[in-house]
Amino acid sequence: MSTSVTASTSLPDSPRPSRLRRFSLRTYSPLPSGQHSYRHSLSSRIPWLSNPGSTSPTDSAAPCPESDHPSLSRYTSAPAPSFGFGTELNSQVSSTESAASTPSNDLPQRTNPMARLRSVSSVHRPPPRTLERANNSQEPAPPSEPGPVQRTATEPTSEPANAPADGQVTPSKSETKATIRFFPYQDALQSSRPSLPFVPVARTLPSESCVIRVGRYSERDGVPLPNPTEPSDAPVGFKSKVVSRKHCEFLYVNGQWHIKDVGSSSGTFLNHMRLSQPNMVSRLYSIKDGDIVQLGIDFRGGEEMIFRCVRIRIECNRSWQQQPNEFNKNTESLIKNLGKGETADYSGCRECSICLGSVLRPYQCLFMAACAHVWHYKCISRLLHSPDYPMFQCPNCRAFTDLSAEVDDSNDAEEKREKEATEDRASNHSSEQPGTEAPSAVETNSTEGPPDQLGDLAEEENLADDVENLHLQDDQQTDDTRSSASPAPNSSTDDLARSATINIPGWQPTQPLSVPSGRPSQLRSDTPTSDDNPLTPRNDSGPLAFDGRAGMP
Amino acid sequence: MGSIKRISKELTELTESPPEGITVELADESNVYEWKITMEGPEGSPYHNGKFLVKLSLPTEYPFKPPTVSFATKIYHPNVTNDEKGSMCLGMLRADEWKPSSKIAAVLQFARQLLSEPMPDDAVEGRIAEQYKNDRVRYEEVAREWTRKHAC
Repeated sequence: MSTSVTASTSLPDSPRPSRLRRFSLRTYSPLPSGQHSYRHSLSSRIPWLSNPGSTSPTDSAAPCPESDHPSLSRYTSAPAPSFGFGTELNSQVSSTESAASTPSNDLPQRTNPMARLRSVSSVHRPPPRTLERANNSQEPAPPSEPGPVQRTATEPTSEPANAPADGQVTPSKSETKATIRFFPYQDALQSSRPSLPFVPVARTLPSESCVIRVGRYSERDGVPLPNPTEPSDAPVGFKSKVVSRKHCEFLYVNGQWHIKDVGSSSGTFLNHMRLSQPNMVSRLYSIKDGDIVQLGIDFRGGEEMIFRCVRIRIECNRSWQQQPNEFNKNTESLIKNLGKGETADYSGCRECSICLGSVLRPYQCLFMAACAHVWHYKCISRLLHSPDYPMFQCPNCRAFTDLSAEVDDSNDAEEKREKEATEDRASNHSSEQPGTEAPSAVETNSTEGPPDQLGDLAEEENLADDVENLHLQDDQQTDDTRSSASPAPNSSTDDLARSATINIPGWQPTQPLSVPSGRPSQLRSDTPTSDDNPLTPRNDSGPLAFDGRAGMP
Repeated sequence: MGSIKRISKELTELTESPPEGITVELADESNVYEWKITMEGPEGSPYHNGKFLVKLSLPTEYPFKPPTVSFATKIYHPNVTNDEKGSMCLGMLRADEWKPSSKIAAVLQFARQLLSEPMPDDAVEGRIAEQYKNDRVRYEEVAREWTRKHAC
């Protein structure tokens, strides 16, 4: 149903070769040095300052195409004639309806737009039996074993800033799983124009030979899974027309992540360096934690969401941080001993890096990020309730946390996560306005892991059952909340009606487990600018007008 | 304001145990956001024996926003602007590199380190940077003379 045409083919083609030549000549002429070397040399000289994002080996030598944007913009994607996510989504929903038209259970129907999302995404999801089996299959693992998402990585446990570039990874045969995460990145320096917002994406390769393909969001690839709990090499799609359908690929070779442009028309940029000429396949470039990858260039000034380029901040080689290590175990024990009488010695307790006061004393509201850095809630709240929410960047180590991520209760570090989740909930509740779609999402999130129910996970064989019950309750609760809440806003009545007719058989109870909660929250954060909602792009681009401003800093 | 608490804490720390060659006081006792720092030129650099007055101003959003550092004393240095502002270009103070966990002590130590090891590649004074790279002797001469003239 999608009649999208790639950018290059929809361009008037006659003068192309000559322009191409000129373009590449100009693009690859190196700039006078010093512009881009700035950050690089600074941070490399002062390792303790170094922002991983700035120390790329390619950075200082990068030819800078920035100066060439007018000519570049000629080669950015032209708008494809029909995009129509909205309609396609709807049609998917209706297909779900028909598929599920034989109601096999009496679950309370979810009367919120989330249900629609869930049902849509569920079409491409393994059935619940698989999920349970997956849970059970974890049983033999020692209790200290991190969950599937955490388990994934084999990178060395060295300094985050120094580790990535060397590529000296010693993969252990049994658990060679490579994880990479993509976060939206807003370039504060180069341009005030925002890049395309997207839900943070995490991928863990099922095997080393797998490739993560990145391209324009396509129905054929199915609804994207932002954060699958199991290893996956599902393609990553971005809803921007400046992204080619086959844009670039991420590969894991010899313990090192690489990126390759697979012939995109508007280019893949690694730390501002274009990897290849239009429609040409590039060689492999190694990437590391903190690198910035840009897909395409803003088209028509990027005023419309659908024409914005995608800027990705890469997070890889961070898994050592998510596995038990000395630091977070230490923190855990400190937290366990909070308030246990006068024997506790607070002299060695952590400092809140915001107020420089001591944290980890009893009777304080604390917030701990996934990297086990702790602050007073009051001090850190400013960074929690930022426009970037649900993304949170640790001010100490710059690790990103998706605050809306599903609570992972599958390892022994669960208490911490519980705590984090609690804080998360708190921030959710305080930051969201009632009466929108948001509360339902929050409710669902926050009722997912009551500490008393999940506290005793030593017997993991009960896990599946627990979870099932829990979500049944969860359903009830969400429903209650909603019925007691004020009437739904007009905008969602349509959704209500539609989702009311959906009965999802069997697997509904465990569904929340696999639903990436980043998705609803993204919708949530999009709601204010509903005009730009990527789900319902406008197609009023008309004749191809190039204003020449695309991508200008 | 939370920032005042942190700032006074850092100030106390810095006055009680100042880093080598650095003394810190408030420019105005009633305003914790403006600091007056005296920085001794590090030994082995052409700025040795010089006493440089450095102004550090903190934004009200500190520590979420970085402080700014400027030299009130004229100094011949590739990384300090040669005007009345004397702004210093410090990578860690740029908005996107700044971390709230960085302390003023670290900023000052880094600034002093920059006196002994200029970074010609990140220069704000391109001419001085050229000279530093190509004609070190002359650079040191001028820097020493400026130090004698302005900073003693």
